[in-house]
Amino acid sequence: MRPFDPRLLRAVPESRRGVGALAALGVIAGSLAIAQAFTVTSLVVAVVGGMPVRPSLLAVVAVLTGRALVSATTEWVAARAGARVSTALRERLLASWLTRPADARPAQAQALTLATTGATTVEPYVARYLPALVAGVVLPVLAVGTLLLVDWVSALVVVVTVPLLPLFAALIGKATEDATARRWKTSASLAGHFLDVVRGLPTLVGYGRAQRQARTIGEVSQRHRRATVETLRIAFLSSAALELLATLSVAVVAVSVGIRLANGSMALHTGLLAILISPEAYWPIRRVGAEFHNAADGAAAADQILAELDPAPGPVPASPTVRETPRAASTTPYRVRVEHLGYTYPGAERPTLEDLTEDFPQGLTVITGPSGAGKSTLLEILAGLRHPTSGTVTAPHAHLVTQTPFLTAGTVRENLTLGASQPTDAELDAALDAALDAALDAVDIRAVVTALPDKLDTQLGDAGFGLSAGQRARLALARALLAPAPMLLLDEPTAHLDEDSVARVHALITTLAQDRVVVAVSHRAELVALAEHVVTVHPAPAKASR
Amino acid sequence: MSLIRDLSTPALVRSGLIGGLATTSGVALTATSGWLIVQASTMPAILTLLVAIVCVRTFGIARPVLRYVERVHSHDAALASLAERRVRMYDALVPLTPARLGRRSRSDVLTSAVRDLDDVVDAQVRVVVPLIAALTAAGVAIVATAVLLPAAGLVVAGVVASMVVSAALALRAESSSQVAGLEARAAASRVGALVTSNATDLQAIDAEADALRWLAAAHSEVRRTAGTAGRIRGLGLAWQQLTTAASTAGMALVVAPAVGTTVSGPVAALLILTPLALADATTTIPDAIGAWARARAADGRLSELLSQEPAVKDATGATSRDDGAATDDGGPPASLGGSVRVDQLVTRWHPSRPALPAVTFDLAAGQHLAITGANGSGKSTLLAALGRHIDPEDGTYLLGGTDVLDMPLVTARGAIALVDDEPHLFSSTLRENLRLARPAATDEEIEAALADAGLQVWLAGLPERLDTWLGSGGRGVSGGERARIALARALLSGRPLLLLDEPVAHLDHATAVAVIADLTRTSTDRTVVMVSHRSDGLDGFDRVVDMTELQEPRPPG
Repeated sequence: MRPFDPRLLRAVPESRRGVGALAALGVIAGSLAIAQAFTVTSLVVAVVGGMPVRPSLLAVVAVLTGRALVSATTEWVAARAGARVSTALRERLLASWLTRPADARPAQAQALTLATTGATTVEPYVARYLPALVAGVVLPVLAVGTLLLVDWVSALVVVVTVPLLPLFAALIGKATEDATARRWKTSASLAGHFLDVVRGLPTLVGYGRAQRQARTIGEVSQRHRRATVETLRIAFLSSAALELLATLSVAVVAVSVGIRLANGSMALHTGLLAILISPEAYWPIRRVGAEFHNAADGAAAADQILAELDPAPGPVPASPTVRETPRAASTTPYRVRVEHLGYTYPGAERPTLEDLTEDFPQGLTVITGPSGAGKSTLLEILAGLRHPTSGTVTAPHAHLVTQTPFLTAGTVRENLTLGASQPTDAELDAALDAALDAALDAVDIRAVVTALPDKLDTQLGDAGFGLSAGQRARLALARALLAPAPMLLLDEPTAHLDEDSVARVHALITTLAQDRVVVAVSHRAELVALAEHVVTVHPAPAKASR
Repeated sequence: MSLIRDLSTPALVRSGLIGGLATTSGVALTATSGWLIVQASTMPAILTLLVAIVCVRTFGIARPVLRYVERVHSHDAALASLAERRVRMYDALVPLTPARLGRRSRSDVLTSAVRDLDDVVDAQVRVVVPLIAALTAAGVAIVATAVLLPAAGLVVAGVVASMVVSAALALRAESSSQVAGLEARAAASRVGALVTSNATDLQAIDAEADALRWLAAAHSEVRRTAGTAGRIRGLGLAWQQLTTAASTAGMALVVAPAVGTTVSGPVAALLILTPLALADATTTIPDAIGAWARARAADGRLSELLSQEPAVKDATGATSRDDGAATDDGGPPASLGGSVRVDQLVTRWHPSRPALPAVTFDLAAGQHLAITGANGSGKSTLLAALGRHIDPEDGTYLLGGTDVLDMPLVTARGAIALVDDEPHLFSSTLRENLRLARPAATDEEIEAALADAGLQVWLAGLPERLDTWLGSGGRGVSGGERARIALARALLSGRPLLLLDEPVAHLDHATAVAVIADLTRTSTDRTVVMVSHRSDGLDGFDRVVDMTELQEPRPPG
């Protein structure tokens, strides 16, 4: 993995200011660290030599105060930059996913991890690792440069020994790689045991198996302890070795300085300065190593998110969907057609849809067929939410009511106006409310909403009012009614409704089909009878040759 | 403080003291180096420097070696303590499961509890050890400098006092800022998860812009809280460094007049460098304070969860220990039939919630009842009472003809199998996942149960059959397969009463209907009560009622 990925700056312009500020602060902090060595040396020399201490004392206080200000600012800037970058990455990621068809998005589990913890772990990567990285680059350079001017012998020692640090780190890492990987694996599977058992506790309690797990938990946790400590032993040993290496390197500087001081060939001021500056070349490098270890998750997550944001991820659709632009005159009927359409789910062995050619004329089309025949898939393809694997689709923009329509834990009004892009103007509120009421009336749910404590402003969901599946389905239909899209796609619109409402909603669907293209998936014979056009899809036959 | 005392096991205190020696070595290394350099500059005979050279070398080697010993030792002690606390937490969770873990997303509640425990124990390594180490080093420094020059000891004591004050202030500030920060990040994560898992449904209704607006709102809160947290950390750091500035100045002022009289030049160098060396050794304190605040919040949440009263009492009057020998051999309890008679049963989920209207119904053994109704109508609460997860407030519940309050909890629960909408698959083989419902079951019985749950074809497609590894690190299963495995488990248990709490809530229409149809077809020999907010696919049930019908008061007389 690279120490820093410049793609971050390109993909997230918001990160530039923060990263730039961190770099500048790192240079200032490094300079102040060197300045501190100078002023402290002067102070010690003044005190020891019985000279006036006030000038060097003031200088020490000024430099340390400066360092205090710089490190406070760095901490603040770093925290802000971390939050800014991680939130910007999540926003870019979700915005990108929302513009892509379902089959061009990563698998659900992976997507969820990236969108939740993945984006969050980028925060410490930026807030802690990047400042350490800056210090790790700036301070050794400044320290060596200064030493060259102060005492070239010490500079030589440092220049020779500093590269040993990363070299040793790499060597130790290489030598212990297998053992570490093996132990982490054991350790991780043992670590997961407790979480697994606790998450399954309701099941264990239900079947009377909970109590006997207690002893297993104790045993597995002890095994986990032993495995983890073995892994940590290697990690701690290598960091101790690096620290020892750094200490020994400074000791070499100290010995050469001490000898020259003792035989009088060097001034106290120079010797003390060399001793105080040389450690500054070593510790920042060790800190980068430690912080990199902590930020590894964040670096990996950032890498994956940036890969997702790269143009043209995933498979390029074999055949582009033809989208007809909305036309001003609604009198011209829209042309909706699929030709030789085929669709295979990513990773599936058999196609879900194969060589389907159909027209969907103005009015109501009902799609029927056995379950698993790809009816819902066909609707999603018509809506442009999936790219066909083969064939072409010609369709205008559509509003699709899925089987599990999305309802947010907001108010009834918010749910009805989801997708209505423009924020509503206060003066239009009355008109809007009238439209909402009419829509609710059309789907037979207005009475329910009027009976709610806050009517249209009642909160729905876990914290608020619960709706039955039928009520939710009707709310989603009301929303579809309000949508401006010229094509409506309805997936099992009456599956959850009782018999009384079914007839009413079926009548509504036929009304809607008068000036829009309406395509519905339904098992209901009544709706099929109302349709101008019926499409029956069959499961794609299993291929003999696979 | 009580949390820290609680976490300070003897092994950990030992680690802290070893860490203190490592920190002291670091401070001594810098201080004695200063002494050595100044002494060397007076051009003495090299022999007179030997003791100091040995000291410097010893401190230089001792610091990494002691640090290594401390880290291994403290991690070992913390993991041992984690093992012990896990068992304790588990034992405390058992009687609270499931009714006191919330009504939905129990696995989230349980996951947070596991993470919280990790955070609490983490404080042993990240708080207890560094604090003991820092205080030890500071104590040694006070004594050593006071021996050399009493006033210098006072200056170092001042440094320690300032550190303690800043730590106390930082702990207070961090506690509130961390809560806000964690809440903001959790909210942003929730929006992220909501949008990700509903991406297609959001696109279907053109609500992409709305989704991104929710995300932006959650994110502005994340950025605000992160800024606050950064300011607090920054102020803490600045305080530390200003303390170093003040103490270095103070040290120079008390040492300078004494040079040549009570202290030598080399000792003066040693004293002046001590505050700076202490500052280097205590840079871990702000992180320790942050971890402390985190552990304290986690500990508070855990206590709140674990200190609840169990929702059921045993017939003997004792609090439930729901396991028992009675079901551990896995044989179906033959004594109880599956008939259910509920008369004016009043339930409430939690004492803080309103009681639900009384419910009355009667179900002969082997009958199948489906209860539908809107969210919040009390379906799940009724099912929890039927499953003996909560005690009835009033009215009676006869299971197999006997009042459940007159029989041991083990007996009642041993007659009931419950499947909810988030069944758990353990990280184990398919066989073990099923056998936990009846340990004595043979492979033939397990395969029969899977077939009854509609998984015959799925099972036939598994290369490793019953040895297939499931759960984390195992084979992925779809939501439908997961629900069916849970049903197979319940069928295998042979328990006469089967309770289903929205078992197909997360499945699509076709799968949901198929799962329920398979279930009603194959469980003819047991009583089934299912609650569902959807009213489709219930053809196989003997009775389908709305919750409100059960709640209607009985006609008088």
